Amino acid sequence: MEELFGNFGQLLSSTIRNATPLIFAALGGMFSERSGVVNIGLEGLMLISAFAGVVGAFLSGSALVGLGTAMAAGLAFALIHAVMTITFEADQIISGTAINLLALGGTGFLMVEVFGSGGTSPNVQGFSAVRIPLLADIPLLGPALFNQSLLVYLMYALVPTTYFVLFKTPFGLRLRGTGESPEAVDTAGVNVFRMRYYGVALSGILAALGGAYLSMGILSAFTENMTNGRGFIALAALIFGRWHPVGAAGAALLFGFAQAFTFQAPQDVVPLEFLQMLPYVLTLIVLAGFGGRAIAPAAVGKPYRKE
Amino acid sequence: MTERQSASGVADAAPVVLEMKGVTKTFGPVVANDDISLTLKRGEILGLLGENGAGKSTLMKILYGLYSPDKGSISIEGEEVKIKDPKDAVSRGVGMVHQHFTLIPRLTVAENIVLGAEPTKGGRVDMARATRDTEELCERYGLRVDPRSRVSDLSVGVQQRVEILKALYRSARILVLDEPTAVLTPQETEDLFSVLKELVGDGLSIILITHKLGELRGVSDNITIIRDGKVVDTVKTSDTDEGELAKLMVGREVLLRVSKEKSEVGEVRLSAADLVVKGNSGSVAVHGVSLEVKAGEILGIAGVDGNGQTELAEALAGTRVAESGAVLLDGEDITKVGANGRQRLGLAYVPEDRGTKGLVQDFSLSENNAIKTYEKAPFSSRFGWIFPKAMRRSAAENLRAYDVRPPDPDARAGSLSGGNQQKAVLARELSGDPGVIVASQPTRGVDVGAIEFIHGQLLKQREEGKAILLISLELEEVRSLSDRIIVLYNGRISGEVGPDATDEELGLLMAGRGMDESA
Amino acid sequence: MSEERRDSGDSFLRKSLRDAGGALVFPLIAIFIAFVIGALLVLASGNNPVAAYVSLIQGAVGSPTAIGRTLLNATPLVFTGLAVAVAFRAGLFNIGGEGQVFIGAITAAWLAVSVGFLGIAAIPIVLLACVVTGFIWGAIPGFLKARFGAHEVITTIMLNFIAINLATYFALGPLRSEGIVPGTETIEAAARIPAIGLGLGRVNYGLAVAVLAAVVIYFLLWRTKLGFRIRAVGLSPGAANYAGMRIGTNTVLAIAIGGAMAGLGGGVEVLGVYGKMSIPFVSNLGFNGIGVALLGRNHPVGVVLGALLFGGLASGAQEMQFATDVPLDLSDVLLAVILLLVTATKLVELIIGKRARALASGTRLDEGLGN
Repeated sequence: MEELFGNFGQLLSSTIRNATPLIFAALGGMFSERSGVVNIGLEGLMLISAFAGVVGAFLSGSALVGLGTAMAAGLAFALIHAVMTITFEADQIISGTAINLLALGGTGFLMVEVFGSGGTSPNVQGFSAVRIPLLADIPLLGPALFNQSLLVYLMYALVPTTYFVLFKTPFGLRLRGTGESPEAVDTAGVNVFRMRYYGVALSGILAALGGAYLSMGILSAFTENMTNGRGFIALAALIFGRWHPVGAAGAALLFGFAQAFTFQAPQDVVPLEFLQMLPYVLTLIVLAGFGGRAIAPAAVGKPYRKE
Repeated sequence: MTERQSASGVADAAPVVLEMKGVTKTFGPVVANDDISLTLKRGEILGLLGENGAGKSTLMKILYGLYSPDKGSISIEGEEVKIKDPKDAVSRGVGMVHQHFTLIPRLTVAENIVLGAEPTKGGRVDMARATRDTEELCERYGLRVDPRSRVSDLSVGVQQRVEILKALYRSARILVLDEPTAVLTPQETEDLFSVLKELVGDGLSIILITHKLGELRGVSDNITIIRDGKVVDTVKTSDTDEGELAKLMVGREVLLRVSKEKSEVGEVRLSAADLVVKGNSGSVAVHGVSLEVKAGEILGIAGVDGNGQTELAEALAGTRVAESGAVLLDGEDITKVGANGRQRLGLAYVPEDRGTKGLVQDFSLSENNAIKTYEKAPFSSRFGWIFPKAMRRSAAENLRAYDVRPPDPDARAGSLSGGNQQKAVLARELSGDPGVIVASQPTRGVDVGAIEFIHGQLLKQREEGKAILLISLELEEVRSLSDRIIVLYNGRISGEVGPDATDEELGLLMAGRGMDESA
Repeated sequence: MSEERRDSGDSFLRKSLRDAGGALVFPLIAIFIAFVIGALLVLASGNNPVAAYVSLIQGAVGSPTAIGRTLLNATPLVFTGLAVAVAFRAGLFNIGGEGQVFIGAITAAWLAVSVGFLGIAAIPIVLLACVVTGFIWGAIPGFLKARFGAHEVITTIMLNFIAINLATYFALGPLRSEGIVPGTETIEAAARIPAIGLGLGRVNYGLAVAVLAAVVIYFLLWRTKLGFRIRAVGLSPGAANYAGMRIGTNTVLAIAIGGAMAGLGGGVEVLGVYGKMSIPFVSNLGFNGIGVALLGRNHPVGVVLGALLFGGLASGAQEMQFATDVPLDLSDVLLAVILLLVTATKLVELIIGKRARALASGTRLDEGLGN
């Protein structure tokens, strides 16, 4: 009995850990898409910030500095996407794909430049688990939910914050309006370009938190292509969650569970490769079952031009 | 009727609130506005009249800061101003109701109204106050709208009210309405005009953009006419008549009414029985419509936009699958036949939207010309090959026959003007000598020359004994071309009248009244 | 008749040249800016950009061996570029080239061992099988889109991971050989695609298959009914539907044909270069195919040119890493920057004026992921 609970607790805890980067990235993607810019570059944003975080922490010896460099890198790459798609009217999906390749090639290039070789970076100071007294004592849920890295607690706070910002504040109203009908927002005297820049910039910062959690929360080092499709799964979570913070977080938890299950399942019964396929297969099923019915912001994907 | 100072409505001594001087705007080689000047006085309703493409909308977009002029100046309340974006315009008291509404369907009325100028409380949008403010505005100007309803649930007429409220909420003193009556029934138009009179009584000044000659009578004080980007004249509404306005607007004598001969009406060619069709949103758009079109007649379908016309036309043409009911062509059930098949059986279809349906903008005219017949000889072989040269030859012929300019089969469809694109569609649809023609808004957004040409072609087809179904939002067009008129309301036929029906009769049917009696 | 033919031939040629000139504007600007940025990166890493680029060019075309390497690199990119281009013509963004290559490769690795005894006659059989499996694999995202509205960008990416795991499972499981390098058994030499020779190193007749595939795709798109439909659906689904074409069927077909191309590419790699499928298998062929297609403006001729450029960059980067200290990954960065810039309409407009907008048509999708 105890063993069963123990396994369940482990599974839950692992689910939270796997879902956290997805939730950060999905919330980031939400700001971008709600402003009308598709951000398929979430994968790359996470990757470059996972790397930048490790470099920052490596050079300074401080995890917090690492978090700062991660966010700066995520923001910088997001701004590249913003400049290309909003100002220069590049195709958003293609620009996002380029961001992913840029992050992949860029981290490869910089691994050699900074650490002297590719592969895996040296270990750095990360965000280790912090036990929250009392809450962590709740049976079953406590240890899984409240004995986690600081970044996980930040994620808990960000879901309701995102909801509030998006649905209760003037900023959120304008952002949603921009994604639905930039013309309407423009004629109401709101600067469409600025709103879209905000949306994409926020996606960079939030995806960076996800990337930092991968390299400094789950691991304490960077390995090449360590995001491994998480940015795309986060996008699927965003669609499945109907561009709503709570929905996206719920979908991300589902995908996180699939990943956690992959690690926990007995490998002697099912070949490893099939277990590893599971999250991706699940994403496919979810998209096929629900993706078509989801209604994206009406103007997403289309550049806005005034003349 | 409100009490007004004079026949022209506004005292000559009223202060000038807006003066635009020498405004010029070019887009590449096209001069959209050429040295345009106009003045607007307090309490005045100024009509801005011109054809499609004359430059009216460009001028107003300059006033609203959406375009920046190459030359010229704008003064508001005697002060020269630079308007660099809509925000500037709003702060100067300029409000605009665009032809295509700028509302966000998924937001509520109140959210749409306060967007960009939200009342806040502790960092969040104060929705209670937004709702209250909206209600107050509605009260004050007699515009009935529920601030809590979603815009997507509202009729077009009500959405227009929301647009006006949006401007009023931002304390507009100058209100510009771009083609506001295009989407209204005659009665709704009357209602709108009485609201406008209410507003000018309150000290606002209004510019009313239109290409319809008749409707300015009884509402505007003065009319400024624009042709080819230039101001032709400004006249007092009370001193002019439609004939003069038409001449000013087009630059030559225009036949206001099409003359059509009586034609021999023959057998029923196209009929629909109890047709039920769903719209894009999945809800039923056409509820059991039955109709018959006979050889040698034009059956007009009138109605306010969005009452099922599009879905009906598409179901008849086969590009949309009907839920139930039947479509018969020459007595044969073609309900299950696709668009291609129907075309082969002699049913031509001119879709309402040449931009996204009628033409592939990035295809050449020759490819567009063959888009429905590419599977047949001489355009392709049985083995799947197509023959571009044959396509080009046939296109060249058709383009010349229908006066498409340029008549170059290799030209990209999207590079043509609206009128020429429409002629290219017509060329393709009519060249196959179809027996039945479904024409949906065939003259939407084209210039008078093209309108005359298209009307002429339709009447010629009628004389040749074709059965024609004409769907149009322009009452004048339906009345002048049709032999019989059916009015659609909410996806049902609300009545049938002759071409001599009055505005009032048609208007009542377009608003769905008179349906209960017939049921 | 001959008179008319010559006449229209002339104007056709002139028009084609004009079109090609216009088509090159976007790619050339993108390439130029990318190389400037690359030079700055090289400078920042403490190397001499001139030396780096000289060695890059030498590595790409400096000797018959270098040219051979470039051609060898370019061969699979033609296939994956076509995989993206065909789908793009139908308005679909196929990011699934990577997985489709793996499916083709594992098909070839398995079948060629089984039918290897047929010698050279095995080659067409095996390649045809790769086309079929690639087609089927490509049809999956097409079907998911047509039937359920699931956006192909995400489904093809998910299918990449699934295909890679699937191929890995077979290569390391049921099909594993005894050797030291993990992977499938080696295919008999007689059943492998022969090398061309001419001092070009390992370049094989797979290159000819690639060029042939480009020609086939060209005729498919511009000379057949199916191609006419695919292009109409891609440019304007509304108008295609109006003309009675089936959007769903053409969606499935276009992306499946793309899958067939990438699958064929995987097969050619196995039969022509490696002789087996080892794990890890070559990576990023599919992703680089995106850049190749977009740089080639989704035209088969452009795809071939784009593949040569990318192939050259890859082989040049090796030389560059060897001769200078600049990491190989610089070429990936260059490719990413090119991709980033290649649809930047407004940027090109700033450089060449309003004509840019007309030139950009048909090379962008401008849509969201949720339909």
